[in-house]
Amino acid sequence: MSVMSARALARWRWVHEWSSLVCTVFLLMLCLTGLPLIFHDEIDGWLQPDAPVAAAGMQHSAASAPDMDAVIELVRQAYPGRSVQFVVWLDEPGRFRVGLSRNAQQQGQKPFALVDGVNRRIVGEAWSEKDWRNGGAMSVLLMLHTNLLMGQGAQLFLGAMGVLFVVSLVSGTVIYAPFMRRLAFGTVRTGQSRRLAWLDLHNLLGIAGLLWMLVVGLSGAINTLDATIFGAWQKSVAQQLKLEFAAARPVPRPQGLHKAVDEALALLPHRQVSFVAFPGSMFATPRHYAVYLKGDSTLTSRLLHPVLVDSESGALVDVGDPPWFLWALEVSRPLHFGDYGGLPLKILWAGFDLLAIAVLGSGVYLWVARRRRPPARACGHAK
Amino acid sequence: MRNELFSRRRERPGGFWFIWRMPLALALATVLGLFAALLDAGPWRALAWAALALPLAVVVHCAVRALCGERPLPPPGA
Repeated sequence: MSVMSARALARWRWVHEWSSLVCTVFLLMLCLTGLPLIFHDEIDGWLQPDAPVAAAGMQHSAASAPDMDAVIELVRQAYPGRSVQFVVWLDEPGRFRVGLSRNAQQQGQKPFALVDGVNRRIVGEAWSEKDWRNGGAMSVLLMLHTNLLMGQGAQLFLGAMGVLFVVSLVSGTVIYAPFMRRLAFGTVRTGQSRRLAWLDLHNLLGIAGLLWMLVVGLSGAINTLDATIFGAWQKSVAQQLKLEFAAARPVPRPQGLHKAVDEALALLPHRQVSFVAFPGSMFATPRHYAVYLKGDSTLTSRLLHPVLVDSESGALVDVGDPPWFLWALEVSRPLHFGDYGGLPLKILWAGFDLLAIAVLGSGVYLWVARRRRPPARACGHAK
Repeated sequence: MRNELFSRRRERPGGFWFIWRMPLALALATVLGLFAALLDAGPWRALAWAALALPLAVVVHCAVRALCGERPLPPPGA
């Protein structure tokens, strides 16, 4: 490796300094709100001991699969003025979360009905996790972390901060080498100035947590695009179905959910239903059910594969494999949340999160300390 | 030798491996851990935990070593 020229080094330092300065406040906020969010499930279970706990790894048994048409009929009778938007298959077999349209005039309508499909009864209602005004402390934390409680624009802004964070990590790695040329890995020079000790610590923590910060930062930035990514996928599907769309008329009370689900499962065996978007709702077309299937192993359970089923004719539409950007979104989710490897993984995630906080904090300290005591060669800054 | 574990080739300071051996090893362990947990439960999970714990353990080791006053020699040429 050739020695970096002084000019190149100065340029990389400038990039590292300014990309970090712009994103640090937001990254600190993200790290602090993210820390309790790692243990979201555990804290929720602790706050509401009665709530049905999502039992990971439970399999849906075909024998006890309830009649979905009866489930939908039950919900429609209970909520006559509202239309069904989607149905989510919960981890607990036979349980469903049904999304309902809301009347803008009526305050206090909860968007979800929780249904016990085996005993055919509605067991409760729920707010959306994203509805922080009606949710608990965890919901507020989640939305602070997602969009600063300021909607889609702020969410994309945080995504941009994530990209800057990646820029700062890359530039930081480039300037790591000249610092460590004559210093054994992990050396922290405590005997000299405080700034030197913190510089060594900043370098050590930054390089040790580099890959984790890169992966979580990048996957977080990708997550901010979720609405956009689903929109792009919908567009690509819409183009595929352009002729059908030309004559499509909305189906107000679609029937035949059970048959649609069976057909989708027959097309792609070894899958489970994740959720079904109803015709006319956000993730479907005006006349098709969109049945989102997931795999049955740890890796493939993250990869949703949509199958469109015509709600009147029952005809399947081959959407083909999900496009790469949907795949990128789905893989980036667990890699951001760290919820895919049991409690030990969550504890490690918290450890890396604290490490990232220390990197950000020491970075700010180093910047302030350098400003306070400008190097001798700097001139023209007399106050 | 105090730093033997981390710099077996200290006779060649400034070289590529002198600087990058440990960072590359820790990066490799992190990537291995992140993706092993995605594969499946069982041994892969345990491997993921061990691999991800490695960078944190190294950081704690180095920080404790520094705090306990074991002062490294000043860098050559300083």
